Amino acid sequence: MRVGIPHCGHAYIIAEALVQKLGNGESELIIPPPTSHRTLDLGVKYSPVEACLPFKLTLGNLIEACELGADTLIHARGTGVCRLGYYVKEQEQIIRDLGYDAHFLTLDVSQHRFTSIMHLVKNLTNDAPWPKIISALRFALEKLFALDKMEKVVHKVRAVELEKGRANQIYREAVKAIGEATTVRGVKNATKEYIKKLDQMPRDPTADPVKVSIVGEVFVVLDPFANMDIEMELGKLGVEVERTMSLSRWVKYRLFLNYLGVNEWKDVHEAAMPYLRRNVGGDGWESVGEKVVYARNGYDGVVHLAPFTCMPEIVAQNIMPSTKEDIPVLTVLYDEQMARPGMITRLEAFVDLLKFRRKRRRR
Amino acid sequence: MVRVGIPRALSYYQYYPGWKAFFEALGAETVVSPPTNKDIFTAGNSRAVAETCLPVKIFFGHVISLADKCDYMFIPALRSLGQKAYYCSKFIGLPDMTRALVPECPTILDPEMDLNKGRRSLYHVIYSLGSHFSSDKSRFKKALEQAEKAHLAYRKEMSDRGITPVQVLDKIHQVEGKSYLEPDMSTGLSIAVIGHQYVIYDDYVNHRLISRLQAMGVRIFTPEMAEQEALDNAMTELGGTPHWSFEADIIGAGEHYLEAKVDGIISVAVFGCGPDSMLIEMVRHRASEFRTPFLHLSLDEHTSEGGLLTRLEAFLDMVRRRRRLCA
Repeated sequence: MRVGIPHCGHAYIIAEALVQKLGNGESELIIPPPTSHRTLDLGVKYSPVEACLPFKLTLGNLIEACELGADTLIHARGTGVCRLGYYVKEQEQIIRDLGYDAHFLTLDVSQHRFTSIMHLVKNLTNDAPWPKIISALRFALEKLFALDKMEKVVHKVRAVELEKGRANQIYREAVKAIGEATTVRGVKNATKEYIKKLDQMPRDPTADPVKVSIVGEVFVVLDPFANMDIEMELGKLGVEVERTMSLSRWVKYRLFLNYLGVNEWKDVHEAAMPYLRRNVGGDGWESVGEKVVYARNGYDGVVHLAPFTCMPEIVAQNIMPSTKEDIPVLTVLYDEQMARPGMITRLEAFVDLLKFRRKRRRR
Repeated sequence: MVRVGIPRALSYYQYYPGWKAFFEALGAETVVSPPTNKDIFTAGNSRAVAETCLPVKIFFGHVISLADKCDYMFIPALRSLGQKAYYCSKFIGLPDMTRALVPECPTILDPEMDLNKGRRSLYHVIYSLGSHFSSDKSRFKKALEQAEKAHLAYRKEMSDRGITPVQVLDKIHQVEGKSYLEPDMSTGLSIAVIGHQYVIYDDYVNHRLISRLQAMGVRIFTPEMAEQEALDNAMTELGGTPHWSFEADIIGAGEHYLEAKVDGIISVAVFGCGPDSMLIEMVRHRASEFRTPFLHLSLDEHTSEGGLLTRLEAFLDMVRRRRRLCA
């Protein structure tokens, strides 16, 4: 069995780390090449025209995995109102029409929880013993948490660095070092080392960065190819970026703490209540709530990301302007037509507006 | 008498007779907005963000036109009306979006309909809805029964007589003097028109597609003209359990009419419709397997009547020629 997976940000690192620890057994993991313009072209070519960007990108990934010989494809499935529930049905058909003999294993992100994911791992690793699986999983999660931690730090440093581009360079080195680490201790040491490096970087003492939070649909928020490195581009403009959503947070709550009745979005949902009283699927409810929360916490602005025609985010987009908590929101919609310079121009204008507002407020 | 406003948009086409029966049993009167016109469209279009789909923009227009004519606005948050099958996000967020975009709207009645939570929770929702009108709880259950009866009768009338919802609804609204073309049963082409009711039957959105087709001598079949059970069966055979509530109306109807050997299929959708972007593709795929001609019309606020007409004529010419060659 040759197992292919789609990409979403650095999610592949979990699969890679598991294989690193458990070996391949009878099944072999095929991680398709990083999402590229070729991936996008393939996805666009074979998808329904009006499908959303995450559909097209993941389809491209899966086709590239099939080209490398994958015969089993893992994909997320959600229940509820968003198109994600339909991805597998449609992509299976497209891949079959292309002449690949591959079948899908679906991972239900809203129902399948910890145990079923563990069983999936056990099956794919040819029945490895449980203790080995658990220690491998711990290793994989360690890497994931380390990467998200690095990201959080670099979001802050980029805005105030003296030598532009240095933070990115260190971040890239850190990702490489964490990826290559072979033990939990190795991961920890690498993280510590690179965070120290970032902390010690020379900073502009006069910098007074505006603070912006990123909210929106989970895939485009987490995947740098899909959102055209928006966090990095904002950093270049001297903006400190904050985002609540991350893969490690998702894993932490969805796989573990939600079982214990902890709802990580409770505050956010409560904040959204006066404006949106119910879950509209996807991340729409959270987007509205986060806008309110960040406005209360004194942020300067919110950048709201969504794939073009995303239903839950359109609901959020319609509601956001009317909240009492007033804070500028820039909605950026992504599809295959979008170009980076266009996005940057809009970001520059938005950041100018935020700076102006801040100056006026302080006067 | 208390007046409840019901916008003539979205789920109106599917559920109006049931809602009317419900509110009348509680001693209220229902007020419906006029058929979509330019003013309604412009008003709605100016409020919603550009990416919103056309029918939802039009919905806001209908709410605006009703705002000063009623005491309550009835905008249910439809989540699920079938086993694990859901409505689109925009239906669920409709009352909250209206609150944000149409501040002049009177009190919104927004019961959340989710049949997955069971009958009990439905009664709970109905009780809190009914308490706006009456303190006598025994009337609620009766009103609900009346509503169900009216809905089933409505559904049956359409499938038995092979007529469109608009024809039945016009009768309810006592519209007189409007003539409907009797379809030519003998010679005409048979074309299935697949899509959401609020697209197929809103003449402003689709530029009078149905009556145009009928005037061209086509016998049309729409999802409502088949029995619900037939649609459900056709869908289950094809794709297993549905994910969206209206899947039966698209995939089920497509499959049902393909098996009934219609001469062609026209699918009508609005640009930016999330579910349709996936579902129509399935119908298209099946149509190519059946080797049945298939035309997809994607409509938005810029669709020109002339362009639409040209495409319809070309499609029908092709279907006619094909039938002659095959005969």
